[in-house]
Amino acid sequence: METKSNLYRKEKYYGYLFILAPVLGFLIFGLFPTLYSVYSSFTDMDGLGQMNWIGLENYTELFQDELFYKAMFNTLFMMIGIPIGLILALLLALGLNRGIWGTTAFRVIYYIPVISSLAAISILWQWAYNGDYGLVNQFLDLFGIEGPNWLADKYTVKPAIMLMAIWKGLGYTMLLYLAAIQSVPKDYYEAAELDGANSWQAFWNITWPMVRPVTFFLVVTNIIGGSQIFTEINIMTSTGGPEYSSASVVFYIWQKAFGNFQMGYASAMSVVLGLFIFIVTLIQFRLDKSSDNA
Amino acid sequence: MEKRKGLLSIAAVTMASVLVLSGCGSNNEGGNAASNGGNAAESGASNSGASNSGKVEKKELTFMFRGGTDEQKAYTKVVEKFEADHPGVDVKIVVTAADQYATKLKAAITGKKVPDVFYYNYGDLRAYVNSGVLMDITQYVEGNSNVDITQVWDKGVNLYRYDGQVVGQGQLYGLPKDLGPFALGYNKTMFEKAGIPLPDKDKPYTFDEFIEVNKKLTQDTNGDGKADQYGTGFNVNWSLQSFVWSNGADWIDETGTKVTIDDPKFAEALQYFADMQNVHKITPSIEDAQTLDTYQRWMKGELAFFPVGPWDMPTYEKLPFDYDLIPYPVGSTGKTATWVGSLGIGVSNNTKFPQEAAELVTYLTASQEGMQMLVDAKVQIPNLKDMAATWAADTATKPANKQEFLDIVNDYGRSLPGERTYNAEWYNLFFTDIQPVLDGKVTAAEYVKSEQPKMQKLLDKANEAEEKSKK
Repeated sequence: METKSNLYRKEKYYGYLFILAPVLGFLIFGLFPTLYSVYSSFTDMDGLGQMNWIGLENYTELFQDELFYKAMFNTLFMMIGIPIGLILALLLALGLNRGIWGTTAFRVIYYIPVISSLAAISILWQWAYNGDYGLVNQFLDLFGIEGPNWLADKYTVKPAIMLMAIWKGLGYTMLLYLAAIQSVPKDYYEAAELDGANSWQAFWNITWPMVRPVTFFLVVTNIIGGSQIFTEINIMTSTGGPEYSSASVVFYIWQKAFGNFQMGYASAMSVVLGLFIFIVTLIQFRLDKSSDNA
Repeated sequence: MEKRKGLLSIAAVTMASVLVLSGCGSNNEGGNAASNGGNAAESGASNSGASNSGKVEKKELTFMFRGGTDEQKAYTKVVEKFEADHPGVDVKIVVTAADQYATKLKAAITGKKVPDVFYYNYGDLRAYVNSGVLMDITQYVEGNSNVDITQVWDKGVNLYRYDGQVVGQGQLYGLPKDLGPFALGYNKTMFEKAGIPLPDKDKPYTFDEFIEVNKKLTQDTNGDGKADQYGTGFNVNWSLQSFVWSNGADWIDETGTKVTIDDPKFAEALQYFADMQNVHKITPSIEDAQTLDTYQRWMKGELAFFPVGPWDMPTYEKLPFDYDLIPYPVGSTGKTATWVGSLGIGVSNNTKFPQEAAELVTYLTASQEGMQMLVDAKVQIPNLKDMAATWAADTATKPANKQEFLDIVNDYGRSLPGERTYNAEWYNLFFTDIQPVLDGKVTAAEYVKSEQPKMQKLLDKANEAEEKSKK
């Protein structure tokens, strides 16, 4: 063991050199800001220069803040879109997997929103949702339905934003599912067919379990991403919607930090949000593991 | 293997949450772009310094501002003229769209990359002075023989004076880029078609008269059984103030410490405002009440009354109908009221060239040549009293009664309540929660009663923050 070659030692240092860039990047742009925001959450930092230690004051205030709970609720509510998006994407992937005519064209169509800028898409949908002239209501009008003013009504604003988010994420999710489905060995299906399984049974007992790692990955990343929803809300409802009905936690953080000189309070909120995501993700990993063993 | 996987998942979870925490800071595109802009400006400055060594030293200023395309063009031109008039001074322009500006500026301040000269909202004056962001430019303005500060609207200049306690007196921390009086316009052509006497610019409607006229003008002109011409369609955020003030109420008391929306006169005015839609039906229906739509309806000639700001004039010039300005209807005080906004131009406390930076500010706000160029570009009303008088005397271009704008600036225009306090959070909450009142689901009296304590709490917090920042 003690006779490690010169080459080994040399290569070890090269190895460190190779990972230095991303590690440094993470330390400077990831870890340091994170620790700094944890620190500033215990201060009354206003973003202009003032920063005094105030202990847990931000946190005690936070847990009595009605708007924070509202923003948290809105954020969670909009996550309802995640399972819907996954199911739709899986169905699409199954459809495209059958090699129907024009598969490539469909793949492109569904993938275009993914590569488009979120800001541009939000503006586009803002117009589409316009109560008077919007495409959505014009379309509904064809069937004699008078659509609501989507973004100005507190009951429709969240579903409206959710719908857009689903549409935007569909292509990406679909592509991952498609890849997963195509990597399922064909002999499984052949064996199932010989045993007399119908197509539903084949899907439920072969395809679904085989794509489970992808589902798990998507659920985890979507929940992390969904907790941070901001851009579409900031653009489509710049005041947080009627009665703050579309404001997400990150939107509220942004308002506090950049609108009201309350960086410290905003930091406290982001720490709470970060912990929340940490815990949820941890639970997901645990659940995934236990179902592995089952 | 099992163990390894466990470690891996912990690592993944840690990474995920770290990403989130740091993401909260960096997710903000505006913030990043602003600090990048700052960096670029700085490296630009050092580069040019190096290349110019040996020659006369170039004085480089950054000027950060915002505005629509017309405004950007006009201001860029004036800055070019300034550079021509001041050899050796090089102005780097950083310009953003209006809605991103506040975030970019705040990110620049947090990142300690404040531009030498920049726009700021006068509501932020105290915060920026107390924290040492803005420079006192009194001596440069008063020592400048090219400008006469007494020629600029007193009301405008006073918005940028602060003695450490009260706004409106003391040292100058900027000058108004312009003043934005929010007047009421009416569709003259529609009145003439309907055969209704034109509104009198010297004698405003009472609240009741205003409803009556609006009712007459709300019509079904094409006979399909649905109204397609309406009296008005105000946006509560920008028009409620006028009705509340002229009814003798306000959001906040004189001392700036108490939220006064639970005053019965306030509730009366708010109810009046909501009833326009729900009771008198003189506005497009609730579903159509989004601003964009009433704005477009006004431009299509479907509304009789609509607010007009000076910034609207270039667009409204091309309207297919004639319009003019009048005072807002009056409530129980018998006096008309509206607000006048302003955007300031200030100098950073850390600028290397305070003299030149202040010179740029006065050039843009108070000099004859600079102001004339801006007024000719039709992006604002003149800051200078003489120039404004000449401008208002021109009744050949729409709107004929431009004098109304000047009366608002000179006489009856007020600052928005949210701008009178350290931050506007308490004031914004009022509008965040207002929809049920506008929809007629909650009465104004109930609303002001339930909303007052919530707003008071936020106002107390704002005042507390102000006290703290003074130290």
